[in-house]
Amino acid sequence: MQKIVLVGKPNSGKSLLFNQLTGLRQKVANFPGVTVELKSGRFDEYELIDFPGTYSLQSISEDELIAINQLKKALESPDTCLIICNLDATKLERSLVFALQVQSLAQTHNKGCVFALNMMDEVARFGFEYDTAGLSKALGSPVFAISAKTLIGMSEFSQALKSYAGTPSLARVNSPNRDHDSAVKVAARLAKQFGMQQDLVLRKQNRVDHVLLNSVFGALAFAAIMFFLFQSIFTWASPLMDGVEFLIGALAQGVTSTIPAGVYEDFVNDALFGGVGAFLVFVPQIMVLTLIIGLLEDSGYLARAALICHKPLSLFGLSGRSFIPYLSGHACAIPAIMAARTIESPRKRLITMMTVPLMSCSARLPVYALLIAVFVPDVAYLGGWVNLQGAIFFILYFGGILTALIVSKMLDVYVGDSDKNDLPFILELPNYRLPHWRPLLYKTLNSGVYFIKRAAPIIFVVSVVVWVLGYFPANGDLQGSYLAMIGQLIEPIFAPLGVDWRYGVAILVSFLAREVFVGVLGTLYNIENADENLIGLASQIQADGFTLASGVALLAFYVIALQCVATVATLKGETGKNRYSWGVFVLYGLLAYAVSSILYAVLS
Amino acid sequence: MTIWDLKKRTKAEITNLTSTLPTNLSMRLAEMGFIEGQIVHCMKRTPFSGPLVIQLQDCVYSIEKDLAQQVHVSPIQ
Ligand SMILES: Nc1nc2c(ncn2[C@@H]2O[C@H](COP(=O)(O)OP(=O)(O)O)[C@@H](O)[C@H]2O)c(=O)[nH]1
Repeated sequence: MQKIVLVGKPNSGKSLLFNQLTGLRQKVANFPGVTVELKSGRFDEYELIDFPGTYSLQSISEDELIAINQLKKALESPDTCLIICNLDATKLERSLVFALQVQSLAQTHNKGCVFALNMMDEVARFGFEYDTAGLSKALGSPVFAISAKTLIGMSEFSQALKSYAGTPSLARVNSPNRDHDSAVKVAARLAKQFGMQQDLVLRKQNRVDHVLLNSVFGALAFAAIMFFLFQSIFTWASPLMDGVEFLIGALAQGVTSTIPAGVYEDFVNDALFGGVGAFLVFVPQIMVLTLIIGLLEDSGYLARAALICHKPLSLFGLSGRSFIPYLSGHACAIPAIMAARTIESPRKRLITMMTVPLMSCSARLPVYALLIAVFVPDVAYLGGWVNLQGAIFFILYFGGILTALIVSKMLDVYVGDSDKNDLPFILELPNYRLPHWRPLLYKTLNSGVYFIKRAAPIIFVVSVVVWVLGYFPANGDLQGSYLAMIGQLIEPIFAPLGVDWRYGVAILVSFLAREVFVGVLGTLYNIENADENLIGLASQIQADGFTLASGVALLAFYVIALQCVATVATLKGETGKNRYSWGVFVLYGLLAYAVSSILYAVLS
Repeated sequence: MTIWDLKKRTKAEITNLTSTLPTNLSMRLAEMGFIEGQIVHCMKRTPFSGPLVIQLQDCVYSIEKDLAQQVHVSPIQ
């Protein structure tokens, strides 16, 4: 299939144009270890490829280098028939610099090249009119005035694209070749001649920023927006998560009722639906999170949030953009690690991704709830304002964040000076714009699909292994299973935490996903439905003589340890290296073990 | 002086970039509009030496101290 390449500077409306031209059937190609994403979709009988937005053909980071090399390869390829340069008509000069560089490359390779002068609706709102014919002549390539949002000029544009793609010679570049220096100069000249007056465009944006970046109102607005984000991943996602759980339950029942009772039924019910199903429950949360972050990004607020958080986080070797991954990590580490893609500096991105798993994700909640119910009395102080159990919850969350910051700082120092020569922080504050639902919807759907594709295989393997170990040889009796034997065998390992083999088994199984801790302990204490009957299990454990010191040690262990294979798989995918993913796994395992045994020793 | 020294709501004209900057970075800055003769407008300073917000032609940028100190300017009224 012949290919059409779409390029443009960041925030130029390129994604929306891509979505309008292609529709739902998109593919996203990722490059391991970097944030480069090439989206492709069908446009008519062609494949349209959306390249990452960048300011120039000169790279200043590894990510950009990969993106630019891919672009250069695409421009050389005989399969490429046409190049579309997307311009933000409200920022002609900045968009032209990159577009002109690409145009001259297109000329070198004898490819057709057209310019899409996007955001025409905004231009019209300012009462400005573009001399498209004049600009087209000066550029030596066809120019189309369009709005990807209101669809002005879109039907002519897509008609023209089809005919140019069919006969690219019609769009062959007709201007002198320019070197680097002159792309900047030509852009300035053309912008002066054809562009709009800048102050006018930026006035509204600056007025909004005056409030949103203000030290008082800005901080309040920031807190409110982040609170909203945090709430949404818990409260809005929970009915959806319940829905998924219900569906999986119903499906499990439907399927298992067709299988005769016995080992096969148990396998399908517990390993497949129980193990893999439990992880599908997180898909809605990931999608809600992607939607809200996408909303913040497309509206232009994300850049402001990064600016606000930059200074405090940079003290710990992080970037302003690390804030969103950290916040999201309280729901689930997987989307949070994926959200780290927006961090410009590869080094800070790596540090962020490696420390996100320390945030107290929602899978830790049931474990915290159980242990707190066991050894923290339900009393209130200060006239009922401070509940002791609530205060401990807070300390656990805070402990996770604090550990993450300390580890970040240590990683920052440890990674050493060789890498310090890193991307400096310069960020364009884009215009505030009302987001369009289309790119958001596709991004949201893609995030769910991507998560499943990435994590499902490893989750499946681990669930099967854990199931087999827990099922045999006693045919379903956990007490007599291999898992219990292993637990008894490794009991000495967990002795420094002051817990017996049952907790060892629960901790081992937690590496599949932490929330199964409660269920497994329930089984070992012979409590049916421990997830619902938390108090029953808690009093059993209390009666068993569980000490405060062990409780604190176990909590500390769960705060720090990375017990989630899906997170490890995601880290592997995003960093591209086993060294980082399994390294973090081992590191936090050891750290958790050390901290909790010290706590136990001190307290008992 | 550099753009890091600009007070809020003041303007200055870019004279040059620090010459020891890596080529790809100084080229990128030029492509982002940091060119001799351009006017920089300081929109906002953030507390504790946080990033600075400037307007440069058609763009508003937020720029960190380390980098802001590489862009030399001369003040204008
Ligand atoms: N008013 C208007 N807004 C647009 C237009 N095209 C895109 N946008 C909005 O501009 C923002 C940035 O667009 P996006 O496609 O994400 O830009 P990209 O970074 O170049 O991919 C989004 O909120 C879009 O909805 C347009 O033609 N008119």
